[in-house]
Amino acid sequence: MITPTSEPPRLEERIRLEPDGRVTVFSGKVEFGQGIRTAFAKIVAAELGVPVDRVIVVLGDTAQVPFDRGTFGSRSIAQDGEILRRAATLARRLIAEGRPLEGSIPDDVPVSATRLADEPRRMEAADIVTGRARFVADVRLEQMLRGAIARAPVRGARPATVGDRTARAMAGVVAVVRDRDLVGVVAERQAQATTAVQALEIDWTMPPAPDDDAVSIPIAEDAGVETALAESPTRIAATYAMPYISNAPIGPSAAVADVRAEGATVYAGTQRPFGLRDELAATLGLPVGAVRVIPLMPSGTYGRNSLGDAALEAARLAKACGRPVLLQWSREEEFAQGPARPACVLDIEAGTDADGRFSAWRYDEHTNAHGYGGSLDPRQAPFTSGRNAVPPYVVPHLAVTLHVEPSQLRTASFRSLAAAENVFAIESLVDEIADARREDPLDLRLRNTHDPRLRAVLEAVAERSGWRDRPRGESRGFGLACSLYAHGTYIAQVAEVTVASNGRVRLGRFWCAVDPGRVIDANGVRNQCEGAIVQSASWTLLEELKQRDGHVATTGWDTYPIAKFRDAPTDIDIYLMGAAGEPPTGVGEPPGVPVAAAIANAVFAACGVRVRELPITPDRVRAARR
Amino acid sequence: MKHRLDVNGVSREIDVPRETSLLEALRDDLGLVAARYGCGRGQCGACFVLADGRAVASCLITVGQATVYRIVTVEGLASAGWDAVQRAFVEEDAMQCGYCTSGMLISATALLAQQPSPTDDEIRDALDPNLCRCGVQLRAIRAVRRAAEARG
Repeated sequence: MITPTSEPPRLEERIRLEPDGRVTVFSGKVEFGQGIRTAFAKIVAAELGVPVDRVIVVLGDTAQVPFDRGTFGSRSIAQDGEILRRAATLARRLIAEGRPLEGSIPDDVPVSATRLADEPRRMEAADIVTGRARFVADVRLEQMLRGAIARAPVRGARPATVGDRTARAMAGVVAVVRDRDLVGVVAERQAQATTAVQALEIDWTMPPAPDDDAVSIPIAEDAGVETALAESPTRIAATYAMPYISNAPIGPSAAVADVRAEGATVYAGTQRPFGLRDELAATLGLPVGAVRVIPLMPSGTYGRNSLGDAALEAARLAKACGRPVLLQWSREEEFAQGPARPACVLDIEAGTDADGRFSAWRYDEHTNAHGYGGSLDPRQAPFTSGRNAVPPYVVPHLAVTLHVEPSQLRTASFRSLAAAENVFAIESLVDEIADARREDPLDLRLRNTHDPRLRAVLEAVAERSGWRDRPRGESRGFGLACSLYAHGTYIAQVAEVTVASNGRVRLGRFWCAVDPGRVIDANGVRNQCEGAIVQSASWTLLEELKQRDGHVATTGWDTYPIAKFRDAPTDIDIYLMGAAGEPPTGVGEPPGVPVAAAIANAVFAACGVRVRELPITPDRVRAARR
Repeated sequence: MKHRLDVNGVSREIDVPRETSLLEALRDDLGLVAARYGCGRGQCGACFVLADGRAVASCLITVGQATVYRIVTVEGLASAGWDAVQRAFVEEDAMQCGYCTSGMLISATALLAQQPSPTDDEIRDALDPNLCRCGVQLRAIRAVRRAAEARG
């Protein structure tokens, strides 16, 4: 296993000049719609002074790119974008001096004034609209079979006996595969594999009840919180909750595996090509160097591809049958077998002094494990399941405790991890305190932060949305929320909603001021912000994964509605305010974080109803009205 | 079982099991992968194709049923005279992952064939069957408007 080192990155691993004058760029990050291929190409093209279309970007192919831990945390531009910028600056100098492109990439290269190209807005766009783009499930190899997996009725159940006489005799079936706890069928056509797997007769051994215990991890432990709360003239306690939701990718998980005695090549949607390579090698009994992972787009998955489920299954099927296998999960499998975003119950109590300054704050976050590791590393927990649990305000007495509890459902990573739940609770509570004090929630926030960048996004979004002169009542309301995302992106948002007499919440306009440091690709930033807002509004208003005793009841989009075209806001205003001198901080996750609170606060402004449990359904609004 | 399909202006014969869906035939027998599997129940729009100009879920109709239609997939949009729709989606960058884009292009084309200058509400209604989890709806609406203007 290759381990990451702290050695400086090497130019020859990052940039190569081709004989035809084109430039090839290498990065271990992967593209799944967030636009990093385009941003990387523009960064290198600008520094080298070549047209963007002369730059080829190779992403994540473990046989070609340097080691990378994975694509998560909105860190691609901050990490690899910066390395490539410095690499290209060095390359330009070496080319001018007629020297080969090799050597350590220095870590202190000033940002040049070179303006990045505006076009193309997305490098993959022309291929996507013409049907030339190749997603994972579009890979076609010689002799390739199609797979289907028999799914246990309960997570963790194991096949005791497998009756396969009927399935084996069915048209197109090549083999029934049994590999430890995996039972599947490979067939010439997908429909044949899917039908045959239903014909298997399997007795399942139920798993023992999980004996995980809850783990409590203190994140902030100031003394005197209880005393300060007791002495606060304004003091509010509230409990907020969010259900399990699905990452709900439009394209279900897929992988193509070609496994031979001497090595394996696997095409997969993955955020961790090197981690997946190591898992595949262990599963297949091959040396790490004999496994190549080639990441292709599986569709956007928003954290779901931190886990390589389909790739590992496809590889086992392929090894067993000796032919390449394409495995594409069904929609039902994606809902039932894919990991869910954890559920949470969030208890906050906070107080202010007579001047409206926070005096004390106690927060207990009860949730499940976020992240792909399965078990929780307590040292990492404040950055995963406890992400953004600390409010971005000055609080003299602060106690924040993360309680990670066993989950009936398999949980993993959803965009922004726990930041979205924590900021929903924090920013809802701030709104409740402002209401109790009969003051403008913008003033309460500004009074309680000295951070000039947080103040700047708050003031900017207020000005652009006309916050001070906003219309009030008449079933229409404006809601404000903000966040300083884990790694330093500042966001403030205003949502406009109308609430119908039946309790239905509709989005009107939406404003977002974002400071992500230096902006590399303005259109890319806007597209990420708009998408994150629409997606978060979807789970705020609509989404809940229905489950009973750990068994997911959701099977299709009919029982798991997401926001559609008619549900989209009427307009989204994205205001970019990153300073050129600040390092870039990333925008994949942060813009989705304050959305739920902005909408909940707007619902309160519209009709006086405080909904503390998501999704904000008409039923919940009506119930809270009574 | 042999079937003759009219796809993108070309008559093509395939030999597939009777119950084969049009989606499976396009992707696995004709090499046309722009229509994508999303749900298999006609609930997401990722597999939409034009059947005599109407947007239909190719996962829900069998190859046998499809033989009576002129089928157009995204691969055939340009030669069918609808490249303005494709260009507009590129120019508005109305995509992120791109998995649902084919279906949106098909719905947009079907709309513009019926209604050359649609209102924003008509565009929302026409594309409502197309689920997009990345959240590019507002860009797609602008793209359809731009395509309508480009076609005059």
